[in-house]
Amino acid sequence: MISAIGNNVEENFRSLRAQRSGIGYSQFVDTIHRNVLPVGEVKCSSEELAKMAGLPDTTGFTRTTLLGLVAMQEALRSAGITNAAETPTAFINASTVGGMCDTEKIYFDILDPQKEGTFLQLIDTLDCADCTQRIADETGLTAYVTTISTACSSSANALMYGARLIRAGLVDRAVCGGTEALTRFTINGFNSLKNIDKRHCLPFDNDRNGLNLGEGAAYLVLESESFAQRRKARPMAELSGWCNTNEAFHPTSPSPEGDGAFEAMRKALEMGGLTPADVQYVNVHGTATLNNDVSEGRALERLFGDEVPAFSSTKPFTGHTLAAAGAIEAIYSVLAINRQMIWPNLNFTTRMEELRISPETRLLEESPVKNVVSNSFGFGGNNASLVISKYGN
Amino acid sequence: MEIKCYIQASAAISPQQSFSGDYVPQFLPLEERNLLRAQEPGYAGFIPPNSLRRMSRLLKMGLTAALQCLRNANAPVPGAIITGTGRGSLQDTEKFLHDIRTYEETALNPTPFIQSTYNSVNGLIALQQQCTDYNNTFVHRGFSFEHALLDSLLQIQEGNAESVLAGGFDEMTVEHFFIKSRIGYWKTALTQPADLLASQTPGTIAGEGAVFFLVGTQPAPVEVKGIQMLYKPSPEQVASAVAQFLQKQGVSVGDVDLLVSGRNGDTRFDHFYDAVENVLPSSASNISFKQYCGEYDTAGAFGMWTAQQELLSGRHKTALVYNHFYGEQHTFILLQKH
Repeated sequence: MISAIGNNVEENFRSLRAQRSGIGYSQFVDTIHRNVLPVGEVKCSSEELAKMAGLPDTTGFTRTTLLGLVAMQEALRSAGITNAAETPTAFINASTVGGMCDTEKIYFDILDPQKEGTFLQLIDTLDCADCTQRIADETGLTAYVTTISTACSSSANALMYGARLIRAGLVDRAVCGGTEALTRFTINGFNSLKNIDKRHCLPFDNDRNGLNLGEGAAYLVLESESFAQRRKARPMAELSGWCNTNEAFHPTSPSPEGDGAFEAMRKALEMGGLTPADVQYVNVHGTATLNNDVSEGRALERLFGDEVPAFSSTKPFTGHTLAAAGAIEAIYSVLAINRQMIWPNLNFTTRMEELRISPETRLLEESPVKNVVSNSFGFGGNNASLVISKYGN
Repeated sequence: MEIKCYIQASAAISPQQSFSGDYVPQFLPLEERNLLRAQEPGYAGFIPPNSLRRMSRLLKMGLTAALQCLRNANAPVPGAIITGTGRGSLQDTEKFLHDIRTYEETALNPTPFIQSTYNSVNGLIALQQQCTDYNNTFVHRGFSFEHALLDSLLQIQEGNAESVLAGGFDEMTVEHFFIKSRIGYWKTALTQPADLLASQTPGTIAGEGAVFFLVGTQPAPVEVKGIQMLYKPSPEQVASAVAQFLQKQGVSVGDVDLLVSGRNGDTRFDHFYDAVENVLPSSASNISFKQYCGEYDTAGAFGMWTAQQELLSGRHKTALVYNHFYGEQHTFILLQKH
């Protein structure tokens, strides 16, 4: 993985543990908001990312692709896969605006018939499939190559779909996740919705006023248990349950009582054969927008009653990485299990007046974590909850 | 598949008179550019007037095709909504890009940004029909609709849904048509659909459309036997895969009496279609559907719809849809009449 708080999983872990946020002003996005709206930007130029990915020729590689490729290479290495092409492997990627980060810079040159140049090589990078295919082609993934876009729940849905392809016996292995680069397009989009806080975001705080956008990429290697055993892999965790629901309430807002979030979490636990009491940590979506946190908080109160487990939003570390968020936070959930830690919800001071509950603000070490719920909710009413469990529970 | 899946209803907005009335494919004349425009239906009766004003063309087409499909099935709330779109609402994406430049990133209207989100049609269908179940959107060129269909079949196999609304939709704008012309997507000379397959030139003609199916366990005349996708295969791999695919579905090559082919007159990629045709019996009928709908990311949905219409006509029993998108994403879909 790669995010504003580190270029790999270990660096991310160290930042989480040190309670070090990656949010600040943009170095790389050309926008009038760059010194006004804080973002969670990956601290590498595209040239540096290309170098990290070992690419000799970067023609046509957008920042979205480069972030994804860096994360993908680490995921394969970490799973002990030296030649991904040896086993038919699905690649389920997620993105919300594909290569927009680079195409928006040259869009009006493309439209000008008089202009010619190397920028024409970027024309086909505008859609979401381009980054997926370039990452697949660089790493030898060929079996089921596709891209999901369900706004901020995209990579959580990618993980579910990959898991289901494995369960259906179509593949033994699926690499799932998402990649998202900051763009002028998205920054202006969320800013026009008045959804961005000029301060560092304050999830679940009464004074919250919007999100900070972020960028990054993360992939998880999913394998069927029998295949993992055959190749003597050491599973890091189990994806034990999942659920996708729709709010059917409003194009960009969740229902105030969090009906979709409630159902997504409830059914994901049910699928994993777990009860709410089995959950030690919830990595909430926690965007710090006015609507999300009320809705998600209400859903937590409804599902867990008086026994709401420790919960926190890690978005004050990374910013909201949109399509990559579900996968980044799935890895944070795996880390919570493997390092027996619960991540603090930074920037919190005052409980929301609509809720009885408050997020965990301390870093909890040596905390027994067996089952984590990771939430991702998005525009279009898309809700996704994943249950990640200690392997061999 | 263990559980049988049937097409319970469908609806298609396309350049043809496919939305209402009997389907008789026509070669439509082109005048200005190599672009087949969809014939938009009247939206009154589908979308409330106050929403209609704000919605862009693709949202209206996508939502209306979906709603008509559900009406045709007399099943207002499906067990899941799963769609594919290669480009989403191009009109909204372009509008927001232009607005950012025109207004220099200040005082922007958020509506085109919201509607440019690839899952916005899915969200609207769910909202309008109050469907709170599984909802997903695939955005991968020539695999967008195809993965929506595979995901639908999986939902049914998993017992999560008895019926799933699956669709594909894409629009072509004049701006995007120009962009793609710069990298050889379209034929350079104006080429009539009637002359498309014999044109002997690279590129093809553009198209657009919105096609939805309700697939489910309730028996209906046309069964979806299976789907398979191949990413960047060689023509040899395509040829061997088609035989294996049919065998896996329990159908012999000789049983296929209709090939619905994505052949689009692009000389760079015709050889893939040759490879599949060579495997099938020469007696099988052959329909090339892109003469009627043009080329676009989710044209495969129109291909499947064409195959369904042909099977419903009673002229054929077993239809293989084979399509690929610019030689990269290849798909087989097998349909059978009962």
